[in-house]
Amino acid sequence: MRTARVIDAGLQTTVQDYPGRRRMLAKGFFPAGPMDHFAHRAANLLVGNDASAATLEITLGNFRIRLESDATVAVCGAEAPLTVDGEAVAVWESHHVPAGSELALGVAAGPGFRAYLAVDGGFDVAPLFGSRATYTMGALGGFEGRPLQAGDALPLGESRANAARRRLPAASRPPYSREWEVRAMRGPHAAPDFLSESDMETLFGRPWPVDRNSNRTGIRLESHKFEWARTSGGIAGGHPSNILDNSYPVGAININGDLPVILGPDGPTAGGFVVAATVIHADFWKIGQFRTVGDTVRFREVTIDDAIAAERQLSATLAESTLETI
Amino acid sequence: MDPTLKSPFPGTFYRRPDPNSEPYVTEGDVVRPGDVVGIVEIMKSFHEVVSDIEGRIARFLVENEDLVDVGQDIIAFEPV
Repeated sequence: MRTARVIDAGLQTTVQDYPGRRRMLAKGFFPAGPMDHFAHRAANLLVGNDASAATLEITLGNFRIRLESDATVAVCGAEAPLTVDGEAVAVWESHHVPAGSELALGVAAGPGFRAYLAVDGGFDVAPLFGSRATYTMGALGGFEGRPLQAGDALPLGESRANAARRRLPAASRPPYSREWEVRAMRGPHAAPDFLSESDMETLFGRPWPVDRNSNRTGIRLESHKFEWARTSGGIAGGHPSNILDNSYPVGAININGDLPVILGPDGPTAGGFVVAATVIHADFWKIGQFRTVGDTVRFREVTIDDAIAAERQLSATLAESTLETI
Repeated sequence: MDPTLKSPFPGTFYRRPDPNSEPYVTEGDVVRPGDVVGIVEIMKSFHEVVSDIEGRIARFLVENEDLVDVGQDIIAFEPV
C-alpha cells in the first residue's frame, strides 16, 4: 500500500474531502470538509484526482511529511515556503516526487491561513457516512477522528500516474487579503422581524475584526450591541437574539447575544439564535483563509441570483481547461 | 545583534500555564533550545512556545495576554 508519514503536524492538519458529509444535518452533523473548498479542489485538479479525493488541510504551516511512495503532489492556498527535500518548489503547481521525499511547508506569513496538500490517489482513510472529512467537533471521520500527529502513517489511494506537470495560472487564483469582502444573503432572520434596518446597515456596512478563537466550528467576529427589532426573545429567551431552536445553514452569520459568528464546516446544525445573513457558497472558501489576528471582513449583500452566478463562475475556473501544462 | 525569539503562532500570549502558576521563565533566566517559555491561545486551544535559542532572557518584548502575530519578536536574549 502507498503511504505518507507525518513528521511535523503543525498547528492543526486534518484530512478533508469535498463536499464533506452531506445529507446528515438531521442527525446532527454539519458537513465538515475543507474550510477553503476552492484551494482544496484546485489541488485535487492539479494532481489528476477525482473531485471526491481527500486532501490535507494545513493550518498556518510548519508541516512536514515523507512520501513513502512515488507521488504527484500539489499544494494550493495560503502562500508559504514549500520545499521537496530542501529544494524550493512552487505552490499552485503539481510536482512529481520520488519515494522517500520529504515535503515541507513553512509558515504562511499572510495573507491567507490554510493550505491544502493533494497527493495523486488521495488520502485514502476509511470513509465514514460517505465522507473522509474530519469533523473536529464530533471527533470523527478523517484519520482517527482527530488532527494529525507526528508519526501518523496515512494510506494513499491508487496512483493516477498523471504524466504532465500542471499549474493553475496566477490569473485564475482568487485574490487573498487581510481585509476580506464576503458576499452574503440577508436572512433567514433579518429586518424587520428580528433586527432593525439600521442593524442590517451596520452588519453590511462596517469591517468586522476576526477573533483569535475562530476555528473550523466558527469565525468569531467583534462583539457589537445591535438595536434589535424586539425587546426580548419572548418564550425563546430574554435576549432579542434568542429564537426557538431551528436549523442553521452552513455559512450562517449567527448572532449570539452581541457576538456575530460565521458558522464554519464543523459548526452546530441547530440552535436558538438568529441568523441575520448567510455567506454565499462561492465566497465561503474565504473564511478558511481568515487569519486569527489582524484580519477584518466586510459583508456585501447580494441576491440569490448573484449567488448562483458567482458559484457558476468560481466552479468554471476549476476545470482542466484552466490549467497550464508546465 | 542579540537574538530574539519569535512567536510561532498568531494569538494571545501567556507567560504562565494557568493564572495560579509561576511564569514559565523570567528575565535573567538561562533558556536552552526545547525549553517552554510561554503559551499562545489560538482557535480555542493552547500551544506551547518552545525556545530554539540558547541564552539569557534580557527582557520580554510583549506583555502577558498581549495579542501577538506569527513571527513577532516576543523575547530578547543576551549571551550567557
